[in-house]
Amino acid sequence: MRERSEDRGIELLQGTLDMLILRTLQWGPEHGHGIGQAIRTQSDDLLKVETGSLYPALHRLVKRGWLKAEWGISEANQRAKYYRLTAAGKAQLLRERNRWSQLIHAIGLVMNPAPNEEPRS
Amino acid sequence: MTPDIEDFDEEIRGHLALSIQERIERGEDPSEARLAALKEFGNVLHTRESMRSVWRPRWMEGLEALGRDLRIALRSLGRAKGLTTTVVVTLALGIGANAAIFSVVRTVLMRPLVNRDPDRLIYIRQTALGIGTENMTFSMPEIRDIESRVKSIRPFGDFSTVDFTLIGFGIGPRVVKAGVVNGSFFEVMGLRPELGRLLNAGDDGPQAAPVAVLTHQFWTTALHRDSTVIGKTMRLGPSVVRVVGVLEPSTPYPAETQIIANVVSSPHHLGATMVTARWHRMTELFGRLVPGVTLAQARAELDAVHAAIVHEHPESYPAQAHVRLHVSTLRDQLASPARNVLLLLLAAAAVVFVIACSNVANLILARSVRRETELAVRAVMGAGRGALRRTLLAESMLLCAAGAALGLVLAAPLVRLAARFAARFSVRALDARLDGSVLWLGVALALVAAVVLAYVPRLPSPDRLGGAALAGGGLRMTPGTNRRLRMLAMTQIACSFVLLAGAATLLATLNALQTANTGYDMRQVLAIDVPPSADGVGGPENLRFFQEATRRIGALPGVQAVASGMIVPWRDPSAGLKFQFAFEGYRPAPGEENPTCRFRPISPRFFAVLGVPLLAGRDFTEMDRSDTEKVAIVSHSVAQRLFTNGDAVNRHLRFGIGGDLRRIVGVVPDVDDENVVQEPMLTVYVPEAQMGLPSRLFVRVAGDPYALVPSVTRTIRTISAEQAIERPTTLEDVRAEVLTPQRLSAFVFAAFGGIALLIAIVGVAGVLAFSVSARTREFGVRLAVGATPGQLLGQVLKEGLVIAAVGIAVGAAAGYELTLVASTYLEAVRVPGLLAGVVAAAILVVAALLASLIPAIRASRVDVMQALRSE
Repeated sequence: MRERSEDRGIELLQGTLDMLILRTLQWGPEHGHGIGQAIRTQSDDLLKVETGSLYPALHRLVKRGWLKAEWGISEANQRAKYYRLTAAGKAQLLRERNRWSQLIHAIGLVMNPAPNEEPRS
Repeated sequence: MTPDIEDFDEEIRGHLALSIQERIERGEDPSEARLAALKEFGNVLHTRESMRSVWRPRWMEGLEALGRDLRIALRSLGRAKGLTTTVVVTLALGIGANAAIFSVVRTVLMRPLVNRDPDRLIYIRQTALGIGTENMTFSMPEIRDIESRVKSIRPFGDFSTVDFTLIGFGIGPRVVKAGVVNGSFFEVMGLRPELGRLLNAGDDGPQAAPVAVLTHQFWTTALHRDSTVIGKTMRLGPSVVRVVGVLEPSTPYPAETQIIANVVSSPHHLGATMVTARWHRMTELFGRLVPGVTLAQARAELDAVHAAIVHEHPESYPAQAHVRLHVSTLRDQLASPARNVLLLLLAAAAVVFVIACSNVANLILARSVRRETELAVRAVMGAGRGALRRTLLAESMLLCAAGAALGLVLAAPLVRLAARFAARFSVRALDARLDGSVLWLGVALALVAAVVLAYVPRLPSPDRLGGAALAGGGLRMTPGTNRRLRMLAMTQIACSFVLLAGAATLLATLNALQTANTGYDMRQVLAIDVPPSADGVGGPENLRFFQEATRRIGALPGVQAVASGMIVPWRDPSAGLKFQFAFEGYRPAPGEENPTCRFRPISPRFFAVLGVPLLAGRDFTEMDRSDTEKVAIVSHSVAQRLFTNGDAVNRHLRFGIGGDLRRIVGVVPDVDDENVVQEPMLTVYVPEAQMGLPSRLFVRVAGDPYALVPSVTRTIRTISAEQAIERPTTLEDVRAEVLTPQRLSAFVFAAFGGIALLIAIVGVAGVLAFSVSARTREFGVRLAVGATPGQLLGQVLKEGLVIAAVGIAVGAAAGYELTLVASTYLEAVRVPGLLAGVVAAAILVVAALLASLIPAIRASRVDVMQALRSE
């Protein structure tokens, strides 16, 4: 699973795209294009999600039961598939969020060690 | 998949539309906006492709992974050809043996009968356990009594067996076995015709036309399924009988016959003896339970009726004979004698399977130690325990599948062998075939083996990862693995011991039977069946025919002497030829009856031809005729037990109460023509000219007895062209034929034992070879500090012997206990004699020594420098 932003070279960590999608859908049902746009604008255009990664991820999440997809009419007046967070999806989002903050904390500790914890070797 | 793709295409179209609209709203040119949107979206086809893997159902992913594992397993097994072959062959033997035995067990014990509604089809027999008779069959008066009084069984069918000389359809003269049945027999049996019709009520009674039905077997083998035989007639003994149908294939019971005829076809069945004599028992009785009646109710009613009959005719049912009725469903009657033996065989097969599995486990265990490095590397590279286990499972599945496939191929001939073996207990065994259910058994056994085998090897545990396993590259064996390997090898030895001891017992029994002194000259006597011919049953013509045949055959070159009689030893049923005799000067103790003796009508020179010496008095001569003094010859036991000082000659005996008085003219040794192992027998011989019907010729020959068969046949045919001449055989071959079941059972067990032994040898050799190769360094060090190669050789041999000794001890203890337990349930099980145990142990010790020899030699030839440098 290669997920990377297009131009500015920030790679999405493995597994984080799922979390971002779940997070985006917390505000309500949205279609694929909308989700991609939302991630982009929310990240100040730093994260661009390739459709080649986005759609497989969406369908995978549906298959796991975290999202539910149903057809609706988009702003462009065309049929579009809207994705909605399920209860299981909400629980998953919570787990991912916890994991993520633990990871940030752990990486932070490694990258910016407190002076008294300087490795000895 | 297609709906998914269409769905997805529409989703993409929606996406693009939104993207374009957004760009236009931002003020881009519509056509450029479209291009930009497409460009931004990227390669649609590529996206679609990556969707496929998401859509793919879970099981397909699993299948793909399995396929990958199998490919890897195939490659890795291909590199270990020796191991693969051994494992596959071992498993094949285990699975094949089980599949074969199982199909026979299934056929005999589980497969439904073709008979309609078999739960209500019952078989009734009359037992006389007081005189050791399990089934003394019925006489017609008895059957009439039962039929008229019992209400819970309706209708009854009866069946008796008669030999006829058949001429017709281009066959014969040839002796066929015929069932003679009443009109309701087929209705009771619930069988249908394959062709034409079966016999019914219209064919019953003495007024009907003689008709017969051919059995499917006879129609197929002798008449080549010729459907034009229906309606044609054949000569059956003195009668002309019309064939009305062919019976569907069914289990032949109570006897395997070629034809089944109505009563009127058999003159004997119309005779006064058959119809009126209560003691003339030769008929078997079947019945159908009336709807709503249970077997227990029918049994109770039959017992009551039978008790009344016994009460009415006390003279026909001596109290000490304990004549009773025994009722069971036909299915149980067919299966019960075989059940125990088959279960015993199944147990033997299961033991072989355990041996096979433990041996394969051994090999796999050794292999897994050898590849610890490989597994460790894969674990370090990120393969989880599950993935490693799956690799092992794939390997063992491949091995077991191959083993099962080969096993089922092996099973085909094994089924035939097992069926022939079991057929002496139940005719149903002959129908045993390999079928689908056995396939499933094979698959199930293979799966069990595969899962067990996949969990035998220890996986590298994460905390030991990267350590010695990765660094060394050398072979190390932990004490735990070593112990497991040895335990498995000992299990094999123990199981093999049990089987070998059993086989040795059976072989010893067989040998005793085959070499027992019978009292007869076994080699130089040809016994020939010459059944009463079609144109004259019994009577003086028959006697004259035999006298003429004896005279003419006696004149043939190479023939030393000729005699006739009624019974070829061991081959002919003789149960009916037993009567009570009163002996002059012998008074039975109070409460006892006169002794029952075998009764044997014979011609002059019978004893000389069969090589039985006269102990006292004279042989019968041509002068002993029906119009001269009635004489008899008795066996040694009669003389010893019934006459003071054994002085029997010139004393008198009498048949039953009112029979002829006969003077004893001679005494001969006891010869037992019923049991191959001789027992003391009370036998009374009479001249056939005075009583009885000769039907067997005995020809004493100087050279090869079989070389004389054609000229004997020609000679008999010149006297009577239509005379059937059957089964010319030396007594030695008669005995071999009679012992076929014993030989088969010894052979089956010996085969099991042999398979077990083979597997155990491979097991011991494998363990020691592995142990030696893992200890190369140790041996190197020992040699370096002064051990001689001979000492190392001896040590490895000793290890092999220890495995064998412990295995034999465990096998003997377990086997002894097992036999004791089994023998309380199964009559057939006997504790093997000490000799059998010693033989089995000796075989195993020798086998273990041979198996340890190669590894031991390897150990003694370790190159010191190389061994020490290798690590």
